[in-house]
Amino acid sequence: MAKISLRRGAALALSGLLAAGTLAGCATESTDGGATDTGSSSSAESTTIRVVAAQYTDDMQPYYDDLVARFEADNPTINVEVEVVSWNDIDQKIKTMVQTNDLPDIGNLNYFSSFAADGLLYTAEDLLPAATLDDMVETFIENSKYEGTAYAVPDLASARLFFYNKDIFDAAGLTKADIVTWDGVRAAAEKIKATVPDVTPLALPLGPEEAQAEFLIWAASNNGGYYNNDAWDITSAANVETLEYLQGLVADGLTNPSPATFNRTDGAFALFAQGQVGMLNGAIFLPSVLEEQGSTINYDIAPFPTNRADGTSITLGVQDYFFGFKNEGETNKAAVQAFMSFLFEADNYAGFLEAAGGFLPATKSAGEAMSSDEALAPYIAVLPNAVFYPGAEASWPAVQGETQQTIGLAVAKGADIMSVLEGIASKAE
Amino acid sequence: MNTTTLAPPAKRRKKSLIRRFLAGPLPWITPMLLLILGIVLWPVYEMGRTSVLEISGSGVTKGFAGLENYRELFDNPNLLGAISRTFFWVITVVAITIFISLFLAQLLNAKFPGRRFVRYALIVPWAASVIMTATSFRWMLDGYYGILNRILLDLGLVEEAIDWMGSAETSLPWLIIVAVFVSLPFTTFVILAGLQTVPGEVYEAAKVDGASARKTYFSITFPLLRTSLFIATVINLINVFNQFPIIWVMTGGGPGYTTDTTTTLMYKLAFRSQEIGQSAALSVVNFGIILIFVLIYIRATGFGKRED
Repeated sequence: MAKISLRRGAALALSGLLAAGTLAGCATESTDGGATDTGSSSSAESTTIRVVAAQYTDDMQPYYDDLVARFEADNPTINVEVEVVSWNDIDQKIKTMVQTNDLPDIGNLNYFSSFAADGLLYTAEDLLPAATLDDMVETFIENSKYEGTAYAVPDLASARLFFYNKDIFDAAGLTKADIVTWDGVRAAAEKIKATVPDVTPLALPLGPEEAQAEFLIWAASNNGGYYNNDAWDITSAANVETLEYLQGLVADGLTNPSPATFNRTDGAFALFAQGQVGMLNGAIFLPSVLEEQGSTINYDIAPFPTNRADGTSITLGVQDYFFGFKNEGETNKAAVQAFMSFLFEADNYAGFLEAAGGFLPATKSAGEAMSSDEALAPYIAVLPNAVFYPGAEASWPAVQGETQQTIGLAVAKGADIMSVLEGIASKAE
Repeated sequence: MNTTTLAPPAKRRKKSLIRRFLAGPLPWITPMLLLILGIVLWPVYEMGRTSVLEISGSGVTKGFAGLENYRELFDNPNLLGAISRTFFWVITVVAITIFISLFLAQLLNAKFPGRRFVRYALIVPWAASVIMTATSFRWMLDGYYGILNRILLDLGLVEEAIDWMGSAETSLPWLIIVAVFVSLPFTTFVILAGLQTVPGEVYEAAKVDGASARKTYFSITFPLLRTSLFIATVINLINVFNQFPIIWVMTGGGPGYTTDTTTTLMYKLAFRSQEIGQSAALSVVNFGIILIFVLIYIRATGFGKRED
């Protein structure tokens, strides 16, 4: 009896092992199937690189599929696996990969400095040939530097401008000339409130989604900001004054009631699309958002209202990055370099910009080619006055995170502005 | 059967050891033990280990940090608020849930036409994804488009639209309501199952003795529900404590950190503030808190002892 049951047990265990073995066999086969079925494993060593790319639009995946197919045809020993990840998840995705030491080979994000600080990245010179780097817009390369060395290359950039609803302005008897200064904006908002009921005169989205941008636009228009003259400057008088001004607008009911929970996309942009907002800080991609939502509002763009003594108006330039992760022994260097160079070839890069939709190019040559585009022209014109995030500082991601969480609290009625700013400043090192 | 007795002694001992091992419970529970080790104990170990490592904002491990992460965590100005809010949140949600579920279970245990459909209907909040439920509520309560404001305005109950999610005073009660809403089905069904285990003879005996309905409930039904109440409470304590989607979808812990529980704060520390070490330390603290919750409850009910 015992013998029989033992045998049966052994047979069961054996069949279990066999099943597991078969499964494992399937798994190994499917992961490197692409490499082995060409039968080249003995001759040329093939490399696989993984790219985690941002999903600017739904067109990114088809773009990369096509790009990779052509790249692999030219470089039979290099396999490229591109994963296009939405903006909501990509930060966490790349960070998790770093944390588990499962580094991708190329990343695509809106910051790079904390990776550079940890010595994980190739320099820009490793990524691209000198000719391509020379073609990059200087400001963008400047913003890609960590401690004097560029560790990333800009992939594209966006710029912001002020948007207003023309119908609401007409109804309130206002024009573009009325919103040049902060005092002008306040007066215009009061006029809208008085003459056009049930409309939010100024949308102030200081919710976590994009509060760091909203705040910087207002602060820089008052000579404030996060980082000035090579040092963190978060608790500056200019920033306090900025928040006091905004607090006043909120208290008088000239904005949405609770800016701290009001997000950009589902709050400000959505309301503007429905014609419920008089004016707001918009961006180069707002027109495509309006189109997507089927909005029929009559709008125009204007420079950001300023509170600077010299009356100059700024724009916020935001650039995103490509960067390459060093793997052990830097064996992926040649493949990473080949793929990056391929992507930045004029035609391929034009395709990239087209797929991403409505952004500013990072290269001068593409900029010249696109300068005739009427929709982009006003943004290209304001770029010389652009302010940027202090993205080269290693603690910027932490400062940004804290700003997104808390800056909205500073404009609530009776809020202690200084304590909010100090909380943010505590994240800057 | 007797073949083994013919084998030489030395070989026999060896063989019988193996045989004893194979015939014993170990071969059968080993896969389970490995599973428990791998799925339960290893993550706990990793969690503890991460909390004493120094981890940079980008996720690179820089080395051993000792208790530095804990020191930073306890210096965090938002921690105390989050912890006290967590206790308030868990106790309020679980207490309200159990209270309402006792009534609902009683109702569903009574015989009435269409009972089956009412039982089905109660499952809906349970079957629906919590994210969907929270998203629906978030938009129903929206300051601009919310249906609730529309109703209140049309009924003339409020003068102007209220931004329910705009401040913690108005959003926290709603978070609690939604958490109770999604916890009710499970709790009700556990209690209902408990009610159905009470033998009918006991009630008959009570009837014969002339006990009032109230007396019957408090002397018979309620004491016999102890086991189901215990299970419902402990599972709810853990679920509500770890409740992330409702808070995350409806307020994101905001404005600021004013509706954060320790669970959402843990997420924000890691992915917003880039303080992965602090976040790991907080997850260890969370683990401790939930153990304390459960131990206090076991102690208070004396459940473990009597079960033995």
